[in-house]
Amino acid sequence: MRRRAYLLVFVLAAVSTPLAQAPKPGVSLPDGVTTRDVKFFSEGVQCFGRIFLPKGLTADSKAPAVVLAPGWAETEASIEKYAARFTTRGLVAMAIDYRGWGKSGGFLYLDDGVRWDDRLRFSQHTARVRIRRKRLIPDAQVLDIRNAISYLQGEPGIDRARIGVWGTDMAGGHVLVSAATDIRVKAAVAQVPVIEGRDVPRKAFAPSAVQQAQLVRLARTGQAPATAIAADTMNEEEARLALAEYHPFWYADAVPPTTAVLFVVAEKDTKVNNDAHAAAASKLLRGPNGVTVIPGATHTLSTPGALEAAVEAAAAWFQKYL
Amino acid sequence: MPAPLRLGLLAAVVLGTGLSAQIATDLVAKRKADFHTQATDADMKRDGGTQPRDWNYDLPEGVTTRQVTFYVGGGTPLYGKLFLPRQFSPRGRWPAVVVGHGINALSIGIEKYAARFADRGLVAMAIDYQSYGFSGSGADDLRLLEPDTTTDARTVTEKQARVLVKRTNLNNVEEVADFRAAVSFLQGEPGVDPERIGIWGSSNGGTVVVAVAAADARVKAVVSQVSGAPPSARGPAPLAAPMLDDAVRRARTGQGAEVDGGFSFKSKVDMWSAQRNRDVRPGSTLDQIPATTRVLFLPAENDELSGPGGAGALAATKYLMERGVTAQTIIYPELTHFQAYSHTGFDVGSTLAADWFLKYLGTGAPPKTTKAATDSLNVRR
Repeated sequence: MRRRAYLLVFVLAAVSTPLAQAPKPGVSLPDGVTTRDVKFFSEGVQCFGRIFLPKGLTADSKAPAVVLAPGWAETEASIEKYAARFTTRGLVAMAIDYRGWGKSGGFLYLDDGVRWDDRLRFSQHTARVRIRRKRLIPDAQVLDIRNAISYLQGEPGIDRARIGVWGTDMAGGHVLVSAATDIRVKAAVAQVPVIEGRDVPRKAFAPSAVQQAQLVRLARTGQAPATAIAADTMNEEEARLALAEYHPFWYADAVPPTTAVLFVVAEKDTKVNNDAHAAAASKLLRGPNGVTVIPGATHTLSTPGALEAAVEAAAAWFQKYL
Repeated sequence: MPAPLRLGLLAAVVLGTGLSAQIATDLVAKRKADFHTQATDADMKRDGGTQPRDWNYDLPEGVTTRQVTFYVGGGTPLYGKLFLPRQFSPRGRWPAVVVGHGINALSIGIEKYAARFADRGLVAMAIDYQSYGFSGSGADDLRLLEPDTTTDARTVTEKQARVLVKRTNLNNVEEVADFRAAVSFLQGEPGVDPERIGIWGSSNGGTVVVAVAAADARVKAVVSQVSGAPPSARGPAPLAAPMLDDAVRRARTGQGAEVDGGFSFKSKVDMWSAQRNRDVRPGSTLDQIPATTRVLFLPAENDELSGPGGAGALAATKYLMERGVTAQTIIYPELTHFQAYSHTGFDVGSTLAADWFLKYLGTGAPPKTTKAATDSLNVRR
């Protein structure tokens, strides 16, 4: 419920902010730090990224860079405070919106009526389309992080060989998956991470009868929905099914030994069981790894000093391993 | 099926020996001379792809077809062509098989396998992957040519817009999803037993089906033709220039470099496809295949694309068997990659595949047995 309230606040803010406006980060920027709003393509969808540039960065610099990924049903705005602070450590930081969230474009579907021919690889049309938003598909979000890395690697002043990823909440799992599937990730920080899968054997997904019925329904009647009610229902059903087979824990032992992974956990996290998630995952890593506990902190890191301590731990990790 | 093979199969099942997990291979030995002819006859050479004459077939007597639409990835419409066996009844319980094509092939080139499977008593559905043939382009193959003004205030917006439609976007991650959506569709098809679904894939599709088996336990039998990845380690694939530069270009402009991707029909694919497909390495997920899924590899001895001697398939088979998963490799003697689709290659290959499916999925049953729990999956549109 609290999450929904938060989301509503964000939605109102997003609606009232024209896209073309000059960057106005929601946080005060450290001295000399600048930001730049960019569009990066993730699988054909124009996504939003806000790049925070440290003081003194030039096109000739060879700075390390970090992609920051928001938590479950969150947007770029929620993690700017981290990106802004990382820049004081000489890091370039790019906070992103996933496909279908915040200032990123949505998932596109054609209504009936468009014909194509494979001999024409790219064809242009004016057509009825349906654009879906607020889908929660973990695999798609991981891909968004990886495509943001690609964008960053083309940014002047950045050292392509020194790329890190940072994610909070569900994105803590995403960065672990990114580290295990993308060779470009050299350092990762998973903050208050949700890393499901410890108690699930790494085997093919065997959907329950209820899940099978949902899969059948999506395959047989799952055209892009036309109404908000249908879209909300489909978002929820898709997310539930996707989560049922999303197990970042399975990826821990596939992270290369050259990639350094830090878990930053809140001591009094009531949402995520740190022992079952971060601590357990860290034991499977082959490379440099650590678990930093923020004393007294809860999942939102809202207690006094918690945010600063979490930033400090992450920034120090990136500095050391990038 | 020739009578001796039928008897051999029966004997193996009745005896219940260790060998009974395998299907008989006498057919291959019996057709040795035909394989040799195909391998040496100039007219039967198939370098660089199949030919349109390889795609033709006669619809077997009593087999009926129906073209269907099913959905993947949040609303992308895919095309399937159902082949229904003689005596099929929507009130019965029949095993069913998804039939999927290779790189820049199309369902029209492999319909004949589905027809053959239906002739043998299986429901079979040949599909086009997303962005191929009669299937729609996925959300990642469509691009808005104007600013996307939608916001999180609405979860769906319908409008008239300028769009770019991209075709032949080779992507094995999406092909895995396409196969699984097809399995879901078949599970809900009246007359199909949702507990007895198999998948058949050839060439690149043969690679994908093994990955599907590692992802989805609903698949009970797999046939992987002219493919076969040996066991491999998990972890990220290497990524170096010029592919790395292409990643940057894709993220900054929306489109990277293209390369020739055509085998059986000529077309371009993204250069990036080769990199993206390394996210699906079935050799690294063989250990995820459950014992309830049975895997048959049908490699060609002189395969110029997937490697000679069926080495990858044999290694994967050994790996699976050691872990209690029923698997078998049967090699098409002397054939090259694309010869598998015609003449003796097709005859023997489709027969062995059907044998495998019938052995592990069983045969169709006329209406009488009903199980309420699984019947509820059969939702009508």
